[in-house]
Amino acid sequence: MTPIHYACSSSYFMGLVGLVLYRTQLLSALLCLEAMMLILFISLSLWALQLMSTMFAACPMILLALSACEASAGLALLVATARSHGSGRLKNLSLLRC
Amino acid sequence: MNPYILSVLLMGLGLGTTVTFASSHWLLAWMGLEMNTLAILPLMAQHHHPRAVEAATKYFLIQSAAAATILFAGVTNAWLSGQWEIQQISHPIPTTLMIIALFLKIGLTPLHAWLPEVIQGLDLTTGLILSTWQKLAPFALLVQVLPDMPTLLVGLGSLSVAIGGWGGLNQTQLRKVLAYSSIAHLGWMVIVLQYSTLLTVLALTMYITMTTSVFLIFKLLKSTNMNTLASSWSKAPVLTAFTPLILLSLGGLPPLSGFMPKWLIIQELTKQELGLVATLTALMALLSLFFYLRICYSLSLTSSPNNLLGLLPWRMNTKQVTLLMTTSMSLSMLLLPVSPAIFSLVSAL
Repeated sequence: MTPIHYACSSSYFMGLVGLVLYRTQLLSALLCLEAMMLILFISLSLWALQLMSTMFAACPMILLALSACEASAGLALLVATARSHGSGRLKNLSLLRC
Repeated sequence: MNPYILSVLLMGLGLGTTVTFASSHWLLAWMGLEMNTLAILPLMAQHHHPRAVEAATKYFLIQSAAAATILFAGVTNAWLSGQWEIQQISHPIPTTLMIIALFLKIGLTPLHAWLPEVIQGLDLTTGLILSTWQKLAPFALLVQVLPDMPTLLVGLGSLSVAIGGWGGLNQTQLRKVLAYSSIAHLGWMVIVLQYSTLLTVLALTMYITMTTSVFLIFKLLKSTNMNTLASSWSKAPVLTAFTPLILLSLGGLPPLSGFMPKWLIIQELTKQELGLVATLTALMALLSLFFYLRICYSLSLTSSPNNLLGLLPWRMNTKQVTLLMTTSMSLSMLLLPVSPAIFSLVSAL
């Protein structure tokens, strides 16, 4: 495994663990999701450089466009949660357990 | 909801699944999955109720994490083997990661914990879209990946059938019951994925038909828990007589069409020398049958004490268009004799 591959994989898994093991705020989970997307962006950019091909150079931009949409959807849901539950704390999201 | 916005969201849902079906590159498949997630979120949160918003938030976090992991597995496969084709994923580590991420997408054990809570927070129509349409795109990817790990698939599949059965036993809310039934049926679909993708697609098609009819029946009866179901004999008596047949079809009893996928899957597993697995999985399906029977019991096999006010609801006609409900009800009861035709229809895909 090349060092770059190792760096990208380990940082992706750190972001995933951060998403899974959130502390109190919903915003921290969204931040880790954004970190995962950023790692994927960097991986795709490095892939395009690796191949020295201009055809794959558009891939990171496509990923960026969709992940920006997803981030804004996440933030809209954070606002909706704050409006309906009173705060962005994840322990408050327990209405559906029963 | 504003009809323009509703049509844009439904077209987005259709386009997302179509893009994933038509893709051979992992990036495009990921795009289709993300479009599906983004399009269904406003549909989930449209009522601005705290439960709906909570369901939408949980769904968003799960699906985004799963889609990002799918793309990461594709990137890792590209780093290790040099190509992005969906059908050519070959290295075992990205393949395992991809399978697990796709299982998180559809809600299979051990990654099923989000599904009952999310479906509970939605109204019945959005729950229907979640249970049926949103399963199509991940399954399109699963049948193309063709992994070479029968232990994982058979193990997680039979575990899903067991967890789906046991989890639904303690529920009175109908949406949670349908969520656990979804987990169990997905287990059946995944058990034969290694051996016959045709049977997986057949099981998925039959599951979609039966679940569509059940969700639409509950929507017509306007009932979301078993107590409300008990008074449905006064709203629609003929429907109350037919619904037990649909529920027993979901449970997989012959001569109803829900028996077809289970029969063919058990036959395929026996051919692959997995008779013990087939027996255990069929026994676990009895647990699901128990809670379907309990719903039948409260729906039509017992009659609640009569009062004069209880006779009024049948005079008020429902405004719901029942074409899809009746079509799917007929299909989910009567398709067993034509199963060779269904088999050849599905094999053409």
